[in-house]
Amino acid sequence: MSEFTRDQNIYSLDLSIDEAHILINLVEQLLELLGEGDFHHHYDESDPFAQLMSQLKAAPEEIVTPEDPVLLRLLPNAYSDPEAAADFRRYTEPTLRGKKQRTLQMVRQALEIIVDDDRSGVVEDLDSEIWLMAINDLRLALSIRLEIDPNSFDHFEALSDSDPQKPIYAVYFWLGWLQANLLNLMAG
Amino acid sequence: MATDTLIESDLDISQLVDRPWVTIVWDDPVNLMSYVTYVFIKLFEFSPAKANELMMQVHTEGRAAVSQGSREEMERDVQRLHEHGLWATLQRDDKV
Repeated sequence: MSEFTRDQNIYSLDLSIDEAHILINLVEQLLELLGEGDFHHHYDESDPFAQLMSQLKAAPEEIVTPEDPVLLRLLPNAYSDPEAAADFRRYTEPTLRGKKQRTLQMVRQALEIIVDDDRSGVVEDLDSEIWLMAINDLRLALSIRLEIDPNSFDHFEALSDSDPQKPIYAVYFWLGWLQANLLNLMAG
Repeated sequence: MATDTLIESDLDISQLVDRPWVTIVWDDPVNLMSYVTYVFIKLFEFSPAKANELMMQVHTEGRAAVSQGSREEMERDVQRLHEHGLWATLQRDDKV
Protein backbone atom coordinates (compact mmCIF):
# COMPACT_ATOMS: atom_id res chain seq x y z
CA MET A 1 0.00 0.00 0.00
CA SER A 2 1.29 3.42 -0.95
CA GLU A 3 2.15 5.98 1.65
CA PHE A 4 3.77 9.35 2.16
CA THR A 5 7.23 9.44 3.69
CA ARG A 6 9.15 12.33 5.17
CA ASP A 7 12.89 12.88 5.44
CA GLN A 8 13.61 16.18 7.22
CA ASN A 9 11.32 18.48 5.24
CA ILE A 10 11.30 16.45 2.04
CA TYR A 11 8.03 14.61 1.40
CA SER A 12 7.58 11.76 -1.06
CA LEU A 13 4.76 9.44 -2.11
CA ASP A 14 5.28 6.04 -3.66
CA LEU A 15 2.44 4.94 -5.90
CA SER A 16 1.57 1.86 -7.89
CA ILE A 17 0.74 2.62 -11.50
CA ASP A 18 -2.94 1.82 -10.80
CA GLU A 19 -3.04 4.25 -7.89
CA ALA A 20 -1.35 6.94 -10.00
CA HIS A 21 -3.98 6.42 -12.71
CA ILE A 22 -6.86 6.67 -10.25
CA LEU A 23 -5.44 9.87 -8.75
CA ILE A 24 -4.70 11.61 -12.03
CA ASN A 25 -8.14 10.68 -13.41
CA LEU A 26 -9.87 12.21 -10.41
CA VAL A 27 -7.65 15.31 -10.51
CA GLU A 28 -8.36 15.84 -14.21
CA GLN A 29 -12.10 15.38 -13.78
CA LEU A 30 -12.16 17.91 -10.97
CA LEU A 31 -10.11 20.33 -13.08
CA GLU A 32 -12.62 19.91 -15.87
CA LEU A 33 -15.53 20.51 -13.51
CA LEU A 34 -13.79 23.64 -12.18
CA GLY A 35 -13.73 24.92 -15.74
CA GLU A 36 -10.26 24.25 -17.03
CA GLY A 37 -10.34 24.47 -20.80
CA ASP A 38 -9.33 21.83 -23.30
CA PHE A 39 -6.49 19.67 -22.20
CA HIS A 40 -5.29 16.15 -22.70
CA HIS A 41 -7.06 13.71 -20.39
CA HIS A 42 -5.48 10.56 -19.08
CA TYR A 43 -8.88 8.88 -18.73
CA ASP A 44 -11.15 7.62 -21.47
CA GLU A 45 -14.90 7.20 -21.59
CA SER A 46 -14.76 3.52 -20.65
CA ASP A 47 -12.98 4.24 -17.37
CA PRO A 48 -15.38 3.42 -14.49
CA PHE A 49 -14.40 6.71 -12.84
CA ALA A 50 -14.76 8.78 -16.01
CA GLN A 51 -18.26 10.06 -15.36
CA LEU A 52 -18.00 10.70 -11.64
CA MET A 53 -17.55 14.40 -11.78
CA SER A 54 -18.22 15.56 -15.30
CA GLN A 55 -22.00 15.61 -15.10
CA LEU A 56 -22.25 19.30 -15.73
CA LYS A 57 -19.82 21.55 -17.51
CA ALA A 58 -18.97 24.83 -15.88
CA ALA A 59 -20.37 27.82 -17.73
CA PRO A 60 -18.02 30.71 -17.02
CA GLU A 61 -19.93 33.48 -18.80
CA GLU A 62 -21.93 34.43 -15.72
CA ILE A 63 -20.96 33.83 -12.11
CA VAL A 64 -23.99 32.40 -10.32
CA THR A 65 -24.48 29.89 -7.52
CA PRO A 66 -23.37 26.54 -9.00
CA GLU A 67 -26.07 23.99 -9.80
CA ASP A 68 -23.68 21.09 -9.53
CA PRO A 69 -23.56 20.01 -5.86
CA VAL A 70 -19.83 19.23 -6.07
CA LEU A 71 -19.08 22.77 -7.26
CA LEU A 72 -21.38 24.19 -4.59
CA ARG A 73 -19.44 22.26 -1.94
CA LEU A 74 -16.05 23.41 -3.27
CA LEU A 75 -17.21 26.98 -3.91
CA PRO A 76 -19.77 27.44 -1.14
CA ASN A 77 -21.92 30.45 -0.30
CA ALA A 78 -20.27 32.80 2.20
CA TYR A 79 -23.56 34.23 3.48
CA SER A 80 -26.87 32.61 4.35
CA ASP A 81 -28.57 35.61 2.74
CA PRO A 82 -28.82 34.77 -1.00
CA GLU A 83 -28.26 38.36 -2.17
CA ALA A 84 -25.15 38.89 -0.04
CA ALA A 85 -23.88 35.44 -1.06
CA ALA A 86 -24.35 36.26 -4.76
CA ASP A 87 -22.54 39.61 -4.40
CA PHE A 88 -19.63 38.01 -2.60
CA ARG A 89 -19.44 35.22 -5.16
CA ARG A 90 -19.30 37.65 -8.08
CA TYR A 91 -16.19 39.28 -6.65
CA THR A 92 -14.36 36.32 -5.14
CA GLU A 93 -15.29 33.10 -6.93
CA PRO A 94 -12.84 33.46 -9.85
CA THR A 95 -9.96 33.76 -7.36
CA LEU A 96 -11.10 30.74 -5.34
CA ARG A 97 -11.66 28.70 -8.50
CA GLY A 98 -8.22 29.70 -9.80
CA LYS A 99 -6.48 28.71 -6.58
CA LYS A 100 -8.15 25.30 -6.55
CA GLN A 101 -7.21 24.81 -10.20
CA ARG A 102 -3.56 25.69 -9.57
CA THR A 103 -3.41 23.32 -6.59
CA LEU A 104 -4.79 20.46 -8.70
CA GLN A 105 -2.55 21.34 -11.65
CA MET A 106 0.54 21.04 -9.46
CA VAL A 107 -0.56 17.58 -8.33
CA ARG A 108 -1.37 16.57 -11.91
CA GLN A 109 2.06 17.70 -13.06
CA ALA A 110 3.74 15.56 -10.39
CA LEU A 111 1.58 12.54 -11.25
CA GLU A 112 2.20 12.86 -14.99
CA ILE A 113 5.81 11.80 -14.51
CA ILE A 114 4.67 8.42 -13.16
CA VAL A 115 1.69 7.99 -15.49
CA ASP A 116 3.64 8.86 -18.63
CA ASP A 117 6.40 6.49 -17.53
CA ASP A 118 3.66 3.83 -17.23
CA ARG A 119 5.05 2.08 -14.18
CA SER A 120 4.94 2.40 -10.40
CA GLY A 121 7.10 5.18 -9.02
CA VAL A 122 7.74 7.81 -6.40
CA VAL A 123 6.52 11.41 -6.41
CA GLU A 124 9.60 13.07 -5.00
CA ASP A 125 9.96 16.33 -3.08
CA LEU A 126 6.25 17.10 -3.21
CA ASP A 127 4.60 20.18 -1.70
CA SER A 128 2.85 18.71 1.35
CA GLU A 129 0.43 21.63 1.82
CA ILE A 130 -0.61 21.52 -1.84
CA TRP A 131 -1.15 17.75 -1.74
CA LEU A 132 -3.13 18.01 1.48
CA MET A 133 -5.51 20.56 -0.06
CA ALA A 134 -5.82 18.64 -3.32
CA ILE A 135 -6.61 15.34 -1.58
CA ASN A 136 -9.14 17.16 0.58
CA ASP A 137 -10.91 18.63 -2.46
CA LEU A 138 -10.98 15.19 -4.13
CA ARG A 139 -12.52 13.70 -0.97
CA LEU A 140 -15.12 16.50 -0.81
CA ALA A 141 -16.02 15.93 -4.46
CA LEU A 142 -16.34 12.16 -4.05
CA SER A 143 -18.33 12.59 -0.83
CA ILE A 144 -21.02 14.52 -2.70
CA ARG A 145 -21.27 11.88 -5.45
CA LEU A 146 -21.38 9.12 -2.76
CA GLU A 147 -23.77 11.15 -0.56
CA ILE A 148 -21.53 10.58 2.45
CA ASP A 149 -23.12 11.07 5.87
CA PRO A 150 -21.97 10.07 9.37
CA ASN A 151 -23.36 6.52 8.91
CA SER A 152 -21.76 5.90 5.51
CA PHE A 153 -19.03 3.59 6.71
CA ASP A 154 -21.51 0.91 7.82
CA HIS A 155 -23.67 1.46 4.75
CA PHE A 156 -20.84 0.94 2.27
CA GLU A 157 -19.25 -1.90 4.22
CA ALA A 158 -22.55 -3.77 3.94
CA LEU A 159 -22.79 -3.36 0.15
CA SER A 160 -22.02 -6.39 -1.98
CA ASP A 161 -18.72 -6.34 -3.86
CA SER A 162 -20.58 -6.16 -7.17
CA ASP A 163 -22.24 -2.85 -6.25
CA PRO A 164 -20.87 -0.13 -8.57
CA GLN A 165 -20.63 2.29 -5.63
CA LYS A 166 -18.28 0.01 -3.72
CA PRO A 167 -15.03 0.69 -5.63
CA ILE A 168 -15.74 4.43 -5.57
CA TYR A 169 -16.19 4.29 -1.82
CA ALA A 170 -12.94 2.30 -1.60
CA VAL A 171 -11.14 5.18 -3.35
CA TYR A 172 -12.80 7.71 -1.02
CA PHE A 173 -11.72 5.65 1.99
CA TRP A 174 -8.18 5.30 0.61
CA LEU A 175 -7.88 9.08 0.10
CA GLY A 176 -8.93 9.63 3.73
CA TRP A 177 -6.25 7.21 4.82
CA LEU A 178 -3.63 8.98 2.67
CA GLN A 179 -4.65 12.36 4.04
CA ALA A 180 -4.39 11.17 7.65
CA ASN A 181 -0.99 9.67 6.81
CA LEU A 182 0.28 12.99 5.43
CA LEU A 183 -1.17 15.01 8.34
CA ASN A 184 0.59 12.69 10.77
CA LEU A 185 3.93 13.27 9.10
CA MET A 186 3.43 17.04 8.97
CA ALA A 187 2.63 17.14 12.69
CA GLY A 188 5.76 15.16 13.53
CA MET B 1 3.50 70.26 7.84
CA ALA B 2 -0.16 71.07 7.83
CA THR B 3 -2.24 70.25 10.82
CA ASP B 4 -4.87 67.61 10.20
CA THR B 5 -8.30 69.00 10.79
CA LEU B 6 -10.91 66.49 11.70
CA ILE B 7 -14.29 67.51 10.42
CA GLU B 8 -16.95 66.04 12.61
CA SER B 9 -19.18 64.95 9.78
CA ASP B 10 -16.38 62.67 8.48
CA LEU B 11 -16.78 60.45 11.51
CA ASP B 12 -18.87 57.42 10.72
CA ILE B 13 -20.67 56.95 14.00
CA SER B 14 -22.39 53.80 12.75
CA GLN B 15 -19.02 52.03 12.51
CA LEU B 16 -18.40 52.65 16.20
CA VAL B 17 -21.70 51.19 17.34
CA ASP B 18 -21.90 48.39 14.75
CA ARG B 19 -21.75 44.91 16.09
CA PRO B 20 -18.65 43.07 14.90
CA TRP B 21 -18.79 40.25 12.38
CA VAL B 22 -17.89 36.63 13.03
CA THR B 23 -16.67 33.76 10.88
CA ILE B 24 -18.58 30.53 11.51
CA VAL B 25 -17.22 27.09 10.60
CA TRP B 26 -19.90 24.41 10.15
CA ASP B 27 -19.63 20.68 10.77
CA ASP B 28 -19.53 18.32 7.81
CA PRO B 29 -19.19 14.53 7.70
CA VAL B 30 -16.12 14.54 5.42
CA ASN B 31 -13.30 16.75 6.68
CA LEU B 32 -11.01 14.83 9.04
CA MET B 33 -10.85 16.16 12.59
CA SER B 34 -7.05 16.34 12.36
CA TYR B 35 -7.35 18.30 9.09
CA VAL B 36 -9.74 20.87 10.59
CA THR B 37 -7.36 21.37 13.52
CA TYR B 38 -4.44 21.73 11.09
CA VAL B 39 -6.30 24.39 9.06
CA PHE B 40 -7.20 26.39 12.20
CA ILE B 41 -3.54 26.46 13.28
CA LYS B 42 -2.31 27.33 9.78
CA LEU B 43 -4.80 30.15 9.12
CA PHE B 44 -5.32 31.66 12.56
CA GLU B 45 -2.08 30.73 14.32
CA PHE B 46 -4.02 29.22 17.22
CA SER B 47 -2.19 27.07 19.77
CA PRO B 48 -2.78 23.35 19.16
CA ALA B 49 -4.96 23.26 22.31
CA LYS B 50 -7.13 26.18 21.16
CA ALA B 51 -7.43 24.79 17.61
CA ASN B 52 -8.42 21.39 18.98
CA GLU B 53 -11.01 22.94 21.28
CA LEU B 54 -12.64 24.85 18.38
CA MET B 55 -12.55 21.75 16.17
CA MET B 56 -14.35 19.78 18.90
CA GLN B 57 -16.93 22.55 19.20
CA VAL B 58 -17.61 22.33 15.46
CA HIS B 59 -17.84 18.54 15.73
CA THR B 60 -20.13 18.34 18.78
CA GLU B 61 -22.21 21.53 18.47
CA GLY B 62 -22.33 21.68 14.67
CA ARG B 63 -20.66 25.08 14.44
CA ALA B 64 -18.10 27.38 16.02
CA ALA B 65 -17.11 31.03 15.68
CA VAL B 66 -13.42 31.00 14.77
CA SER B 67 -12.71 34.70 14.23
CA GLN B 68 -14.24 38.09 14.87
CA GLY B 69 -13.64 41.52 13.36
CA SER B 70 -14.66 43.83 10.55
CA ARG B 71 -16.78 42.55 7.69
CA GLU B 72 -13.82 42.81 5.30
CA GLU B 73 -11.58 40.80 7.62
CA MET B 74 -14.22 38.10 8.02
CA GLU B 75 -14.74 37.90 4.27
CA ARG B 76 -11.03 37.28 3.91
CA ASP B 77 -11.13 34.56 6.57
CA VAL B 78 -14.12 32.85 4.93
CA GLN B 79 -12.34 32.91 1.57
CA ARG B 80 -9.21 31.32 3.07
CA LEU B 81 -11.30 28.64 4.80
CA HIS B 82 -13.05 27.89 1.50
CA GLU B 83 -9.65 27.55 -0.17
CA HIS B 84 -8.95 24.80 2.35
CA GLY B 85 -12.31 23.10 1.83
CA LEU B 86 -13.91 24.00 5.14
CA TRP B 87 -17.54 25.04 5.13
CA ALA B 88 -17.59 28.62 6.47
CA THR B 89 -19.91 31.63 6.47
CA LEU B 90 -19.81 35.10 7.99
CA GLN B 91 -22.51 36.98 9.84
CA ARG B 92 -23.00 39.73 12.38
CA ASP B 93 -22.11 38.60 15.87
CA ASP B 94 -25.49 37.76 17.41
CA LYS B 95 -24.06 37.57 20.92
CA VAL B 96 -23.45 41.32 21.19
